[in-house]
Amino acid sequence: MPRPEIHMITFTVDGREVRAPENAMLVDAAKLGDVEIPVFCYEPKLGQPVGACRMCLVEIEGIPKLQTGCSTPVKDGMVVITQSERVKEAQEAIVEFLLVNHPLDCPVCDKGGECPLQDISFGWGGGRSRFIEPKRHFEKPLALSPLIAIDRERCILCYRCVRFSQEISEDYQLILAERSADTYVSTFDGHPYVAPFSGNIIELCPVGALTSQPYRFRARPWDIEGAGSVCTLCPAQCNVELTVRDERVLRVLARQHPGVDDGWLCDKGRFAYQSVHVDERITRPMVREGGELRPVSWERALDEAAGALGRAGAQSAVLAGGGATNEEGYLLQRLAREAVGTPHVDSRAGGGPGRELAAALGAPALQATVPDLEHAHAVLVLETEPVDDMPIVDLRIRKGVRRNRVRLAVATPRPSSLDRNADVSVRYAPGCGEAFVAALSAMLGGEGKNVDELASSAGTTVEALRGVTGVLRGVEVGEGATGSDEAGPRDIVILWGERLTQGRRGAAAARGLLNVAARLRLGGREGAGLLEVPVAANGRGLREAGVLHDAGPGLSEPPHGEMAAIDGLELPDGLARGDLTTLLLWDAEVDAATLAAAGTVIAHAAFLTDALRAHATVVLPAESYAEKEGTVTHPDGRVQRLRPAIGRQGGVRPGWQVLADLMARVGATQDPADPGAGDPRVLTGPMASRQLFEAVPVYAGLTLEELGGRGVRWPAREQAAAWPRADAGPFGLEVPPGPVKANGDLRLGTFRSIWAGPEVGHSPALRFLVPKPRVEMAPADAQRRNVTQGDHVTVGHNGAALHATVVLRDAVPRGTVFVETDALRAGPVDVRKAPPRAGPPAPDPAEAPS
Amino acid sequence: MAWPPTPQELITVSAPSPGGAGGAYRAFGETLRGLKTTMARVFEGIHTIQYPEEKVPVYPRFRGRHRLHRFEDTGLEKCVGCSLCAAACPADCIRVVAAENTPEHRISAGERYAAVYEINLSRCIFCGYCEVACPFDAITMGQDYEMSDYSRSDLIFTKEMLLAEPLDRTPLRAEGE
Amino acid sequence: MSTTTASNGERAQPILFRGIDEEGLHTLEVYRRRGGYDSLKRVLDAMSPADVLAELQASGLRGRGGAGFQMGKKVSFMPAGQMDKYLICNADESEPGTFKDRELMQKSPHMLIEGMIIAAYAAGANRAFIYIRGEYQAQADILDAALVEAQAEGLVGERILDSDFELTLVVHRGAGAYICGEETGLLDSLEGKRGNPRLKPPFPANQGLYQGPTLINNVETLATVPHIIRMGGAEYAKVGTETSTGTKLVSVSGNVQRPGNYEVELGTPSREIIYGLAGGPPEGRTVKLWFPGGSSAPVLTGDDLDVPYDFDALAKAGSMLGSGAIIVVDDSVPVVAVALKLAKFYKHESCGKCTPCREGTRWTVSMLERVDNGLATPMDLDIMASVQEQIIGNCLCVLGDAMAMPIGSMVAKFRDEFEAHIEAARTRNPFGDEQPSPDPVLVQGAAA
Repeated sequence: MPRPEIHMITFTVDGREVRAPENAMLVDAAKLGDVEIPVFCYEPKLGQPVGACRMCLVEIEGIPKLQTGCSTPVKDGMVVITQSERVKEAQEAIVEFLLVNHPLDCPVCDKGGECPLQDISFGWGGGRSRFIEPKRHFEKPLALSPLIAIDRERCILCYRCVRFSQEISEDYQLILAERSADTYVSTFDGHPYVAPFSGNIIELCPVGALTSQPYRFRARPWDIEGAGSVCTLCPAQCNVELTVRDERVLRVLARQHPGVDDGWLCDKGRFAYQSVHVDERITRPMVREGGELRPVSWERALDEAAGALGRAGAQSAVLAGGGATNEEGYLLQRLAREAVGTPHVDSRAGGGPGRELAAALGAPALQATVPDLEHAHAVLVLETEPVDDMPIVDLRIRKGVRRNRVRLAVATPRPSSLDRNADVSVRYAPGCGEAFVAALSAMLGGEGKNVDELASSAGTTVEALRGVTGVLRGVEVGEGATGSDEAGPRDIVILWGERLTQGRRGAAAARGLLNVAARLRLGGREGAGLLEVPVAANGRGLREAGVLHDAGPGLSEPPHGEMAAIDGLELPDGLARGDLTTLLLWDAEVDAATLAAAGTVIAHAAFLTDALRAHATVVLPAESYAEKEGTVTHPDGRVQRLRPAIGRQGGVRPGWQVLADLMARVGATQDPADPGAGDPRVLTGPMASRQLFEAVPVYAGLTLEELGGRGVRWPAREQAAAWPRADAGPFGLEVPPGPVKANGDLRLGTFRSIWAGPEVGHSPALRFLVPKPRVEMAPADAQRRNVTQGDHVTVGHNGAALHATVVLRDAVPRGTVFVETDALRAGPVDVRKAPPRAGPPAPDPAEAPS
Repeated sequence: MAWPPTPQELITVSAPSPGGAGGAYRAFGETLRGLKTTMARVFEGIHTIQYPEEKVPVYPRFRGRHRLHRFEDTGLEKCVGCSLCAAACPADCIRVVAAENTPEHRISAGERYAAVYEINLSRCIFCGYCEVACPFDAITMGQDYEMSDYSRSDLIFTKEMLLAEPLDRTPLRAEGE
Repeated sequence: MSTTTASNGERAQPILFRGIDEEGLHTLEVYRRRGGYDSLKRVLDAMSPADVLAELQASGLRGRGGAGFQMGKKVSFMPAGQMDKYLICNADESEPGTFKDRELMQKSPHMLIEGMIIAAYAAGANRAFIYIRGEYQAQADILDAALVEAQAEGLVGERILDSDFELTLVVHRGAGAYICGEETGLLDSLEGKRGNPRLKPPFPANQGLYQGPTLINNVETLATVPHIIRMGGAEYAKVGTETSTGTKLVSVSGNVQRPGNYEVELGTPSREIIYGLAGGPPEGRTVKLWFPGGSSAPVLTGDDLDVPYDFDALAKAGSMLGSGAIIVVDDSVPVVAVALKLAKFYKHESCGKCTPCREGTRWTVSMLERVDNGLATPMDLDIMASVQEQIIGNCLCVLGDAMAMPIGSMVAKFRDEFEAHIEAARTRNPFGDEQPSPDPVLVQGAAA
């Protein structure tokens, strides 16, 4: 539902007139007048107040009893007293009651020094206790999960963690057991609390009852420094504060940005910092000598890399990905286009629509923001699983549905964790996103005759589509929702995964999506639009920096004109044909077969994968995001700033410096007469940023100071007018190809879980979450193939196959299997029981952790 | 005021003029009075203490080199690595890195113990705040004041050095002395 | 159960308990023969919801569950308009010493059902629940059977008595928690959640069960409704005092010779109930203290026996009518034992949600235990009194107050005895290793 209007009122607190929004809770409103009312259980992020701790009792004129400030909405003319003798007595009483059962653990408690209970006892408590009886005792410390330690004696039963589990992440795992003073927090059946967002309860806990296992006893608050930055492990780009002690990252906390993360973090973002300091990290440049990668000096490695690139010239290709910054992307495409002289630059390994369509999809008028998700009339989740691809957005969608009654439609091939919250969820065949959007577009456009055919080629039904349009149009499901929209345009946000527009038919899918947007009249509408979930963490930023085969910075015409450039999708073919010989990988991952086809592979990476170990020629160590300096662009257009929190580990050099050195070296080899020919004139990180802002028209005039800690959404700036104009449809759509004929085989769908990625595997605390290869299938399909839950099987076709464990899921549509892999391409596969292997079988991921 | 000042604006201060009996007294009388004290002490004997052969006993509350303590009965370290001493230290000379006790490997009585406990004595100002801050009486100021050494790094005292029984180098003043 | 149905002498006829012991009254046949469901028929035939509401308001009927809020007013708070509205009968009669609803439901279940249909009609509710405590198995079975009968006769369900009014009624059995008798705790429990009280506002009349407007009333209150319709609200209001109208079922228990349920006109002197109806304490004993309205009410002493038994007079005397359960304690029982037993009950039943109640009840119990075994000093009595004051008014619901008020009043009124007890226990048990004394048997009526 649209954002409510805010009326300002005036009320009095402790004799001061304060202006505050009407119906704000007294605790928040009093803060506007610099009056602090102490709280424990109140946390606006958790929704409705519960009034359990009673710490916030205040006197309100005209009401005989003391009232809880956390649950009393402020009204015009209200007179509030927080300093009277009565209030003071009540506050001291509550503190005394809370300390009755709270152990004096402060010296050994990780919360000591940053503990609200300490602060409030000091500020509002009586300073003495009359309690001499024994306190209550629980076994301690216990592991609530491998990531969280629980100390039940310290718990003050404020309900925050339980409310988070029940109402925010909706994993419904935490409960309160027993009653009265014996109440304790637990999971229902004593299982470990393992969930994608479990770490947030550590930050929510106002005492030291829930503490982080990896941070346990690592530092006290006065030993550490906080460094604000942005997490670049996924496209959500949550704002984080890194806790640093002795040049080591020890903890990650949320930095509370309502426009980005709403103050939450996923467990990957919260705990994968450990991978910064592991021995497996590459911290020195390496060059292949005698068939093995050996550490060498930077000079040597740069010379080798520059030499290889210079020699290959237009036969070299550059692929960027991951969390590469905008500056790195910009310098990278300069390196390729200006110094090396090759047009083969891309940041999309899976390919994508051309420049025109990319510009249309990214048009400022068509962009929704993250907060729009919680205030829209309806949200359509298309071809993405938020909890895996952009986790924090999953919480935002749940919040919208729960608190603002946003209507939700989910359209994905794989069953989604949001299905339970959705008004309608629709399955279509893997790889048939194009047909699905075409059908949806036809349905919205009222082209009834096409819909049947299109729906069946998407592997879905007309009824399902009607459900989706019904939700989007605001019509009750089953009331014959058609193409008409008498109710007028509504605030609709389409959260779509970049996978939709990948592949050879990506352009057609993009046109279909633009048609849907046009028919829902999303363009130029505040609070409505498209929100992309890119595959790479900084996918949007890299595209805008010009790391595209057919576009320069700001999606401008490419400098090489009509010269045919090979994009990321065709890269393997290009290498196989011999059109390309040398490959520069910048934080990008490519499979081993592709690497094997390249003559020279120069990789900028933080971890050595098996493929790199086998095929890389030169390896340059990459920074972690904790060490990086630069900017990234959030999928909704917010340019955010990364700041280095710690010094670079080992011999790691900044990415911009490596690229500048490479450019200078390649330039020198190209033109021996002028040694400074290739020098990009980049001597510091901010210089790189300045060059980027000058080169990208929509970033023009930005400064790092302006970005500050909160970032700036460029689509909301004046300079957004410089975005290239592009035809946004509606287009006449081609007839999409039908689903792959399986001929008795199963259709394969692939996905990447939240726990994919080297950072999770290399973080000791998170390693238990790394998924074992598993194949999700419908029970009926499994029965037909005579396999069952936990069986070891091979999945594949025509030679290419992988081993996996069967996981039965009722929600998986019949005829389809899902495997977490990048190794297999969508298509028909067969699932066969694997021959028994020697040795004990790998533990079932569903059973871990114990 | 204009510069230079006129003689009227200047205030001249001068010493009393010498002369007469007053002048003679000022020249010799006071000097003899001082000499009287000096002469009187000559017969008292030698007061020089021959340090380092001789040492002055220190008072019980003298703040010398720190000591860390163990429980006498169990032998466990009293320090739980809470770092409060480091927080209290105005010279920032204490560094504590804590770790967790396990049933097999128990160092202190609490959940945590100090895996690293270092005091940089070349920075320490011997204010005693660490002793006051300690919630377990694990650190106290000892009586030793002889800490000179040949290199700065040798003045960083580790946990083992601080726990060790100190050499009895400094005499303690007895009760009522 | 020893039950004596007694009207208050000449002054009034029993209303709820008229012929309550008649054989077979729990069946629809007998109930109808005695004029049952006539009120419902009158309501559905000739009265609009507003008319019923007007009668209820005219009757001045105050809620019989504990808070004593005017029922007519409560009904009038229900918002108008088309939405799911709910009526809930609170039959979670868990207040120690209270057992009046049990007798009503057991002997005349149809009276409650009829009252609920009329109340639902007045409130515009189409869904009704009877939340009955889990321990009342026999009574729940009887209600279930009565409900089946009523449904078969078209008294509950669609088109009740051929009118347009429809009502679904469900008997829901609780799982045995005192806090689920608190109206918002009851709502959570009914929704299938942990039975914890909710923050008020919003009040149930605006946002109750499943966020819908909800009217919650006690069994006795709802059972009175058909009689108000039969007699007329104004006529009903003539019984009792001006502000406490009608009759009240009083459960008398403790040290009395004839414990049981009595229907009395409000305003009857308490002495007449305790001595006249219940026979007073055993021979040779005197009343030391008595709880006028269940165990949550501040205690009164033998000096207060002449207080008229109605809402306002008892409030003026520093206590409350509560659920209308008189527990009499005679001079053979030590006051410390009474206080400890009481505090233990509330500690056990506190839900643990809000701080003062959760920690205050536990603290009070441990202090009373020390008083009991001689480890306390008179100063601890000051702390105990202050802890009770810290609880009162600071809690989320009234459970905390329900312990703090009687304990506080006992410490205040029997301070000498507490101090003497400490002294005696300390002499007897100088090392504090004595076993705690056994709990006194107080509620003889309910224990039978």
